[in-house]
Amino acid sequence: MSSIEERRRLFAKYKEDVKTRGKPFFPNAMFHDTVMSLVVVSIIIGLAIIWHETANGTTAGLLGKEYDAKADSGTFSFVPRPDWYFYFLFYLLRIFKWPDSVILGTVGVPTICLVLLLAVPFVDKRTERRLSRRPVAIVASILVVISMGVLTWKGATATESLASENVKKVPTWIKRNKLPPAAVPGANLFAQIGCLNCHSYLGTGGGYSGAPDLSAEGSKGKGIAFQIAHLKNPASVNAGSPMPSFATLGDQRLHQLAVFLEASKGGK
Amino acid sequence: MAVARPPRSRRKQMEAIALYPLDWLEERSGLVGAVKYFLFRKVPGDTNWFQTLGSATLTAFLVQAITGVILAMYYTPDPNSAYESIKHITNDVTLGWLVRGMHRWGASVFIILMFFHMARVFLFGAYKYPRELNWIIGVLLLVLGMLEGFTGYLLPWDQTAYWATVVGINLNGTGPIIGPFLSSVLRGGSEIGPDTLARFYSIHMLVLPAAIMGLIGLHLYLVIRLGVTSPPWSKKAAGAPWIEEDEPEQPARKGLVEPTPRGGAAK
Ligand code: HEM
Repeated sequence: MSSIEERRRLFAKYKEDVKTRGKPFFPNAMFHDTVMSLVVVSIIIGLAIIWHETANGTTAGLLGKEYDAKADSGTFSFVPRPDWYFYFLFYLLRIFKWPDSVILGTVGVPTICLVLLLAVPFVDKRTERRLSRRPVAIVASILVVISMGVLTWKGATATESLASENVKKVPTWIKRNKLPPAAVPGANLFAQIGCLNCHSYLGTGGGYSGAPDLSAEGSKGKGIAFQIAHLKNPASVNAGSPMPSFATLGDQRLHQLAVFLEASKGGK
Repeated sequence: MAVARPPRSRRKQMEAIALYPLDWLEERSGLVGAVKYFLFRKVPGDTNWFQTLGSATLTAFLVQAITGVILAMYYTPDPNSAYESIKHITNDVTLGWLVRGMHRWGASVFIILMFFHMARVFLFGAYKYPRELNWIIGVLLLVLGMLEGFTGYLLPWDQTAYWATVVGINLNGTGPIIGPFLSSVLRGGSEIGPDTLARFYSIHMLVLPAAIMGLIGLHLYLVIRLGVTSPPWSKKAAGAPWIEEDEPEQPARKGLVEPTPRGGAAK
């Protein structure tokens, strides 16, 4: 850490050095800026063209679909997938255990990171700027790049669960979790309506939002009534739950799902 | 004053006519002087390509602003017609696909460039005294830029947009104390619907862009006032303590360069 007097003196020297040895912004630096800006605009136009040329409406091309089907709050075959630059945040949630410590993922870690980022110039008060003399800065930036990279990659490659694939798993679930016949309609529903886009069950599914594994949901002893109430309005029984409501499924199907969940005891 | 000057040659006369508007503007606003100052202010002689990342970010933001304005001419922020208006822009409007595509992918480029620019500032140690405030403004810009991404994502009103936002808002609600409040403010009720879309649209195209533009203005003011940092590895880095250490060598070299003092290159 350098004293404020030292830092002031060096900044005065900086101003002096620039005055005596500096170059005017125009034309040199401005030329570089202009070239770079043209490159940026070309890349943006290029991406727009590739997107449009290879995709066709809801048919995905190299850069994905131009648009998905129209929003429908009544369907459940959705994948709540954010834009790629939020993958690291979403994936962070899966590292924490639902529901006790998930707040660390939604609020805790991001807040700490933001505070640390804001604190950088107040923590590092040395005048040293050469990387070879800033080992802490080097290690910190490598760690940040690796963890952001890994989280983004994990988020990007997290498997999307397809209803048609999931439903093939139902027989295995029946065997491994010894599901009674009454639980089978619920299991089929569960496999197909999108629960597995967030939750995992005996190794299938699991998505972006850090929802808990449900293989052993039945051993918690919560009961059918709780399960139905929860599906209708998750936040009413689990304060602050981010899970969307499934009330539109109707009483009969909600009951089937509840029976299935209560019968799931996490077989080995 | 310019008018009072007696015209000498025809050339001089033409020049006076051409410069008259500039003189007029300068006398009344000082803007010509300001632009001159901006263009001809000295920057360290050793700035390099990494230092173009800031203006590249600015360019990406301007692309967003311009394409955004055009999209707003065709987009309708209403659940019944938002999706159709996006389809209309993509499929029917002349070059609509290009404008929408540029806005869509420009957002990603803008965010990547912010991270790259921040990395260069960090690795150059350019956040140090007296540039701490500009680092803080930068972090705010980063957060606001990501929020632009979040609010813009809902607008096409397709399944991806809708459900990502449902979960996004719900996650927001897990926050302590203000979490649930913030969620219901964002939603504009207990369900995602017309009010949510109108809110997101207004935040996306009025609130956040205004805040970002204001902060970019401050950011650039500070860049011009304080000057940009020399690359730390440069042998001629301005104001670098580690170069001072070799000062004894300087006088000799200085002697050789001295014959061309300020006058030459400086404008
Ligand atoms: C909308 C986003 C931003 C824009 C348009 C922008 C623009 C600029 C420009 C044009 C410069 C001049 C030097 C250069 O190009 O490198 C600059 C410098 C700077 N920026 Fe940014 N910036 C943005 C975001 C950020 C972020 C996210 C940070 C860091 C958290 C940051 C911190 C700084 C600092 C500390 C400087 C001074 C660098 C020096 O003295 O060398 N900026 N910015």
